Order: sequence, then structure tokens, then C-alpha cells
Amino acid sequence: MRSSRIILTAALTLGVLAAAQHAMAQEAAGQKYTITVMPPGGPAPRLANGRPDLSGHWLPNSAGQGVSGRYGVDPAATRQFDPQATPEEPPSFRPEALERIRSMTPTELELSKSSVNCMPRGVPAIWLQNPYSTMLVHTPTMLVQLYEVLNNFRVIHTDGRALPEYPEPLFHGNSAARWEGDTLVVESVGFDERTYIMPNGWFHSDELRVTERYTRPSMNYLIVEVTVDDPKVLMKPWKSAPRRWTLGDGDIYEFYCTNNRELEELEKLREQELEQQQ
Amino acid sequence: MRFVGVIAAAVMTVLAPSAHGHHSFAAEFDGNNCRDFTGVLTKLDWQNPHAYFYLDVKDEGGTTQSWSFQTYALITLKRAGTDRQVFIDNIGKEVFVRGCLAKNGREHYAAAGTMRFADGELRQVGQLQN
Repeated sequence: MRSSRIILTAALTLGVLAAAQHAMAQEAAGQKYTITVMPPGGPAPRLANGRPDLSGHWLPNSAGQGVSGRYGVDPAATRQFDPQATPEEPPSFRPEALERIRSMTPTELELSKSSVNCMPRGVPAIWLQNPYSTMLVHTPTMLVQLYEVLNNFRVIHTDGRALPEYPEPLFHGNSAARWEGDTLVVESVGFDERTYIMPNGWFHSDELRVTERYTRPSMNYLIVEVTVDDPKVLMKPWKSAPRRWTLGDGDIYEFYCTNNRELEELEKLREQELEQQQ
Repeated sequence: MRFVGVIAAAVMTVLAPSAHGHHSFAAEFDGNNCRDFTGVLTKLDWQNPHAYFYLDVKDEGGTTQSWSFQTYALITLKRAGTDRQVFIDNIGKEVFVRGCLAKNGREHYAAAGTMRFADGELRQVGQLQN
């Protein structure tokens, strides 16, 4: 167990170092990128109890700032992981689950996305399909997650409490946390079934169990790795690549989804699709 | 010539704006049906998940039509340096927009991609398109 933790820590450290080396290499090559991969930034801060402090305003890229719609961005800075360095296996769906996903029309798929229907992304999608920032406020007894998107929040207690025996279905699930060395491991059960794991129709069942592993290998980097276990939907648990979030210096913004005209437009498109099928 | 092409491709890679759509532009808008618009900015709806702005555009017959355009989410616009005040300062002024029309056939409605206000700076205000 200890050796696997050491290997994981070494792999994460190497990932951050590789990203920083890439930044230095491109600088040496004289490229004109104005937004580049963030350097590691020194050791991670620690809480009063000696554990890594995950607090910060985190952006889902390797740049430490917004990258969408901007010019001169190093492609490496837009990524949360390099699929060459840390490949991510596709989920192994049960045949009936795959059939359900494939039966969705393109417009139905679009309408299922939280970015379109304004439903909460939920856990674990909030860490897998979220282009907006997240602020973490960490104390020795809790990790508070403030999600910019839809102004959602989540409180994870780190005081050793167990998972509830009869969890009610929640968008963010019911969570219990423990430390494994410098990794905060969060186990969650009891999820609202209206959310999707990924915006590709990957739904989940009432047996979904999510494990999040949080590390902060250096000041500027937060690494989040997610395992999805859902025996009614998957043939075997799916593990995400370790995804990088970088420390941002800007504000976290308000985002109440109140003016969504896409739903109406897409509903019209779906009606047209259905008419064409008849 | 080939060398020039490689250089041009490299420059484009460096200069092209980065776009990470959180949902599919292609589901709602037709990337093969895009146009350049020049018109007077008349109104702004600055609300999430997308802002909408309105342009008075003269059609080929000289009639003025009011077009509405969808943008990125407000957060994305702000992080890219295009805030609400830029739009407000340009109301009543002529602007340029490259936009793609809605797939469902809704008239005078498009997704904005690039936009140029009176200051002349070309901004990316929506997902990439042709």
C-alpha cells in the first residue's frame, strides 16, 4: 500500500515537473505563447495538523488563468492531463447501458448536458466536465468546495465520520474522507440519478460509488483522480487520469443559470428531428 | 513554398485562440452556414449561461433587421478580457461579427464567434467556427 502511494506521488511529481520542463523548453525555443504552462511554484502549504492544505482558487487547466477565447495559448497549458503521459481507458459499459446511450439522438444528448439544461453537474462530473473554476477552503476538519458553475457548493467533513447507513440521493452524494499519506481520499455514495458522469450520455445508477483522490504535489498544482464504480452500468470500475488544476490569481465569479435560451432552441430542433423520422 | 506553408501553420498554431466548449456548438448552430455581419450594436442581455447582444443589420434590400447573437458564458468572456462594459461602451456604434446561424431555422439568430468593436481589436466571444 505504502509502495503504491510512493509510486503515485512520484508519478504526480514527475507530471508537474514535466509540465514545467515543457514551459522552460518552449521559452528557450523562443515561441510566442503568452499563456504557458504554470511552474510548480514551490512546496504545497500545510494545515495546522500537518496535512497538505488544498485551499486555493483552482482552474481546470495547466495555465493558472482562463484559456478559452484567448490568443497565444500554448496547447499544453489548456490540458488537464496529457493522454500520452497518463492515458485514460474508456469506460467498459454493460451492453444494455451502451444500448441506452446509443439510442439518444444528437439533440437528446445535448439536452442531457448540465451545461445546457442547467441542472447541477453533481459528483463526480463537477471534477470531470467542468470548464469553470473551483475554490477550495480547507481546515483540519472540513474541505469546503465552492463551485463557480451554478454557484454550487459542497462540504466534505474530514473528522473521521463514516458514510451514512441509509444515504438519501443527492447531487453531490454523501461523502466520507480519510487521509492516505498526503492524499485525501473521499468516498461517496447515494447520488441523484439525474446527473451524468460525462457529457456523452454516460448515465449512472443508484449503485454509483465514487472515490476522489486529492493531492497537492506543489504550491500551484492540485491533482484530482476519480474512480467510478457502478456495477449496474459498468463491467468494471473506471479510473480517470490524474487531472491537473492550477492555482489562479483572479476572482471566482457568480454564475446563476437564469437566461438559458438554448433549451427552447434545442427543443425546437428535437421536434424537427422527430418530424423527419415520421 | 512548402516551407512557407509550414511557417504559416506554425504561426496559426501560436495565434489561434483557444476554445474549450463545455457543450457542443455544432448541436445547435451550423458551422457550414456562417456569415460576416456589420451592424449597429443596440442591446445587451448580460446573463448566464450566455450573453446575447443585438445588432441592427441592413439586408441586401436595404431593410434593417435586428439580429441576436449568443456568446460564451459570461465567466469565459471576462477571463478572456471582454467584460460587460466593452459592450455597453459600444452600444450605438458599428461592430463586426462573424457568426453561424441556428440549425433549427430561427431567423435573425446566430452564435457569435469573433467580434470587433470600435477599438479594432478582434476578440473571440464564442466557440470557434469557420
